[in-house]
Amino acid sequence: MGTPARRPGGRGASPATSWAFLSPWALAFGLFGLYPFAFSLFASFTDYSPVRAAGARFVGLGNYARALHDPAFWSALGNTALFVVGTIPFTTALALALALAVQPAFRGRSLFRTGFFLPSVVSVVVLSLVFKGLYAPNGSLNGLLAALHLPTPAWLLDPDTALPAIMAMDVWSASGYYMVIFLAGLEAIPRDLYEAARLEGATARDQLVHITLPLLRPTLLFVLVVNTIRSLQIFAEVFVMTRGGPLHRTTTVVYYLYEQAFYRFDLGYASALAYLLFVLTLALAWLQMRAVGRPVEVSA
Amino acid sequence: MRRLAGWMAVALAAALSCAPAKKLAEEVVFWQFWPAEVVTPLLEGFEREHPGVKVRMEQLTWQSGQEKITAAVAAGTVPDLCEIGSTWMPRLLAGGRLADWSAGVADLRPALRGWELCTVGDAIYGVPWVLGTRALFYNRELFARARLDSTRPPETWVELQRAAAAIQRLGHGVHGYGVQAGERYVLSKKFLPFAWGNGGEILSEDLRHAAFDSPASREALEFYLGLRRAGMTAQQDALDREFKEGRLGLEVSGAWLFRQIAREAPGLRYGVALVPRPANERGAHASWAGGEVLVGFNDAKRKQLALELARFLVRPENALALAAAAQSVQPATVGADTSAYYRAHPLEAVFVRQFETARFTPNHPMWGDMEAAIEDEVEQALYDRKSAAQAVEDAQVRLEELAGKK
Amino acid sequence: MSGGAAAVELRAAASPAWGASLGRWLWLGPLLLTMLLPFAWMAAISLAPRAGGSFARAAAGPWDLSSYRALFASAHLGRYLLNSAAVATAVVLLNVATAATVGYVLGRRRVPGEKLWTLGIVATLMLPKQVLMVPLYLVMARLHLLDTYAALVLPFAVDAFSVFLVRQYVLGLPIELEEAARVDGASDWVIFRAVVLPLMKPVLAVVAIQSFLTNWNSFLFPLIFVDSDRLRTLPVGLALLSQTEHSVDWGFLMAGSTVASLPVLAVFLLFQRHILSGLLAGAEK
Repeated sequence: MGTPARRPGGRGASPATSWAFLSPWALAFGLFGLYPFAFSLFASFTDYSPVRAAGARFVGLGNYARALHDPAFWSALGNTALFVVGTIPFTTALALALALAVQPAFRGRSLFRTGFFLPSVVSVVVLSLVFKGLYAPNGSLNGLLAALHLPTPAWLLDPDTALPAIMAMDVWSASGYYMVIFLAGLEAIPRDLYEAARLEGATARDQLVHITLPLLRPTLLFVLVVNTIRSLQIFAEVFVMTRGGPLHRTTTVVYYLYEQAFYRFDLGYASALAYLLFVLTLALAWLQMRAVGRPVEVSA
Repeated sequence: MRRLAGWMAVALAAALSCAPAKKLAEEVVFWQFWPAEVVTPLLEGFEREHPGVKVRMEQLTWQSGQEKITAAVAAGTVPDLCEIGSTWMPRLLAGGRLADWSAGVADLRPALRGWELCTVGDAIYGVPWVLGTRALFYNRELFARARLDSTRPPETWVELQRAAAAIQRLGHGVHGYGVQAGERYVLSKKFLPFAWGNGGEILSEDLRHAAFDSPASREALEFYLGLRRAGMTAQQDALDREFKEGRLGLEVSGAWLFRQIAREAPGLRYGVALVPRPANERGAHASWAGGEVLVGFNDAKRKQLALELARFLVRPENALALAAAAQSVQPATVGADTSAYYRAHPLEAVFVRQFETARFTPNHPMWGDMEAAIEDEVEQALYDRKSAAQAVEDAQVRLEELAGKK
Repeated sequence: MSGGAAAVELRAAASPAWGASLGRWLWLGPLLLTMLLPFAWMAAISLAPRAGGSFARAAAGPWDLSSYRALFASAHLGRYLLNSAAVATAVVLLNVATAATVGYVLGRRRVPGEKLWTLGIVATLMLPKQVLMVPLYLVMARLHLLDTYAALVLPFAVDAFSVFLVRQYVLGLPIELEEAARVDGASDWVIFRAVVLPLMKPVLAVVAIQSFLTNWNSFLFPLIFVDSDRLRTLPVGLALLSQTEHSVDWGFLMAGSTVASLPVLAVFLLFQRHILSGLLAGAEK
């Protein structure tokens, strides 16, 4: 492994070792992570256009003011919020339920574990193409519904069902992935806690509520934060399935800023939109860390 | 786990050790979108004519090509010659990074269509390579079943409406006309042909003002909305699929359908016609037209070679070779429909004839926003959120505002 | 005591009888079916190239392997596969190494301002890649890394997701083992290697799976950072081979996607055993 194999500096010297652990990573992270990050912040205060010969002009808070008065941005933000609120509770609950269900030994456990992970194996672009076909007016889904004598909505064509259809696909495809992360988190819980609890006569439900869920909190926080970040940036599904339509009801913030950046080449404005999204994401992540991320007392 | 890591390292080393490409004396870099097996023979022809020159071609994807071009332009790592879709041209022209080819391509002007796509005032910043348009596809078998003359496609709006209604009445999952909805960047190409055909305009001649709100545009939108009652509404690929499966009577679509039908529904009996005009004695068989333009950049290294390669690629035989292989586009060459290829492929020749009455979108820097505004408003009417008249009126207001921004 | 955890063997999971498993099958089974349905769709379309993406037609057949034949006949497929494998492997190895070390340091709060570091690292995930793309391209151009393997590996070897994941995992690990080892006089490095690393196996397996997965399917950056065909990765190659203007070659694309998903599946199967290694079973006795 590529870890810096320094000779340790003795017992109390953990900061030095820490820096040795951090530095190669920090260099690469600075170049490929922080520099683009800072560049975009700078660009958000200019009218930077990548295709214009003339240089960028400083416009102060102009892009931010424009965004706050841009009804299209607010509508995209509303769609994005709906997406986040409408997917994350379901994805998290389903992922946790699946993880708890496939953790203990039972016949066919590997089959289920692998099967539930399967949607994560395929690229989201291909999955979106598949679902676009499933959701078509005469597609497989409506064929099935018609056979069951159920109503057949127009799915992606109907302004009221287009976003929920994409959300359903997201819950479906993301749950298995977060299931795997929960599985790893469950492994960090010492087994003897359960044994001790059993000896004291705790029921399975007691063990879940008093051992599993509290000790799973760091993992839960990770899943919540990461899924929130990802959902706030939902793009590929929209790009492939609806291009933001119908009636802009599936236009998400990132789809909107993508259009600003690559159809209008207005990277300054796109960067400002990205930073507004950033502030929102940061606030949400902070709230989640406050709510779920309290340090956990892990001792038997 | 450790053994796996070892194997992975070996694979990695093997991949990395494959020799880097040798640098040749003179290399011209060309970015384009077509499959390598179609374009490479053309480039070999160029290399034969220019000994010592090597063309380094890179294929872009339609989905994300513009991101790559944008990043390259920003960093100055542009190719020498680049294919650009007409949608991106107005903004690029306004950006001022394209090389001025006015002198280098002046002699080609009479031979090619589509100069509107790459011209600002008198200056020319590229050369049209292949063009694309939309025409009317109709299913002959459904025509016959609906007791319509399957040899005579609808010429006028009334005939189109009647044919669609007759086919719609067949029922059992069969629909008359395919109305596109639910995704953007397609809708304007479906509706504008009717507006243009009826004498409607988007902008004034000098591009300074909106000219969209007119009785002609309103009437066209009314007519277009009326087609919903004699057909189905779906996204473009779903409409195409219905047509290929023989369940859709008529739709305005692109030449990409030829390949798809040949592969997926070789037995389909269908025809292609010009987009119908308002009436026999009135209006035009208008359609939307766009194209692929070859451009050079001011930052490029080999500007002269790039221009020579562009001139080579737009030669009638070379543009035709690409068009015949791709089928989804036609050469920009004037009079291409008289070539042996199009005489042997009459359905595809309809597309070449459609260019004569097709319209290019206005070359205004804000065209992207304008197209979005038109689509927004037409879509609102399509979803019954607005009347046709209101939609046209609102589009006019937005277009006027956009026309003022340069 | 130190290193004792590493010695704990995999729990021999004696599977209960079929009868006891029936309950789980009853509610997980239907769920699994819905997860598999789209793959049936993919597979059917890859086998029925003339169906044009219509499942009803694809399911009806006739089926043939022509899409797969076309895929494997493509001269470049091997190269694309090799590139993808090499790039994904390098990224996985570097990611596991950096995530393990950095995540551990942050999780044990061994640097001043650890909270801020963590938040800063996570924050870089909060800007969409659509705006980061152009500046990142500019960095690559400045460093002369465009059109090299390094461009496909380096930016993705420092994945903030992985670091965050490991940090969260370490927060949940009991610290007693490390403290016991320190009392025994073990150095930081020895503690990390002999005590912590074995305990981190489940989360590192997830990091490996997740970084393999993202990089194997990554499309936009490999498309943009690399010009030469010889450096092209599988997703970009597949997109180029299956695209036609305004449409895709459904059979080819689905055949390609099916083939492309197999290595991810293999990696998952390989590493998922390590997720469930049960190392902490009785580790503190």
